[in-house]
Amino acid sequence: MLEIVGLVALGLIAGTIAAALGVGGGVIYVPALVVIFAFDQHIAQGTSLAVILPTAVVATTAHARLGNVQWRLAVPIALAGILGAFFGAWVAFELEPDLLQRLFGIFLLVTAGRMALRAYQFTDQSEPEPGPS
Amino acid sequence: MLPDDPMGAHPTDSPRIQGSGESPSTVPAVNSNYAKGAFVGVAAGVIAGLFGVGGGIVVVPGLVLWIGISQRQASGTSIATIIASSAAALISFEIAGSVDWSAALIVFVGAAVGAVVGARLATVVPERILTATFAVVLVIAGIRMLV
Repeated sequence: MLEIVGLVALGLIAGTIAAALGVGGGVIYVPALVVIFAFDQHIAQGTSLAVILPTAVVATTAHARLGNVQWRLAVPIALAGILGAFFGAWVAFELEPDLLQRLFGIFLLVTAGRMALRAYQFTDQSEPEPGPS
Repeated sequence: MLPDDPMGAHPTDSPRIQGSGESPSTVPAVNSNYAKGAFVGVAAGVIAGLFGVGGGIVVVPGLVLWIGISQRQASGTSIATIIASSAAALISFEIAGSVDWSAALIVFVGAAVGAVVGARLATVVPERILTATFAVVLVIAGIRMLV
């Protein structure tokens, strides 16, 4: 029961961040499932993807209503993304869970650095006006 | 690869191209955006498949810094592309038997609510604050995964 409440809370927090930044569901789900819920690294990643897919559908609907989706740009990215995803998953299963987990940790730190840089850059620029919607 | 200015993708500012008085040629810019998009897509897809994430971490900066669309448009466009890359990666993980569907369903109940809240939040809370907060969370999570 406690685990169910914990998993719902995890989804609520990560889903909010994911939709707000267009980033972030998986980088929260995977470490949370591994560290808090003791999932195997591969199963944490597979489960993360199973949440991300329907979440992305819901979030895309919300963003599209607000006029925030450029579909002509999304199509080539999506098609290329499918090819890349099959390759990346193949590599993931070539790796031991322990090594994959450490690589994931490094990936998180790199991501954090990138986000911090982005936050810093926003302070340099004049705050952009909300885009045409 | 061009060090073009971040606003280069905007269709109205291609003053160097002297057309024949017709509409200024935006075709080269559009085509190069497709090529850039494909490159960003492959990179994002590999990350999605390898780490079980959406890939937005690659797509959003790719769209903002390289193709030059606004942060808000990049967030929306990114999450649309994640539908495709996460579906492809999910198929691979399901074939390998590495998906806990009941846990995923429970997390999704929370995430479905969060997605709607987050899309609103992005239009209200300054991007800087969202991003900085998120970076702190990631550092903590990253260290826990490494240790």
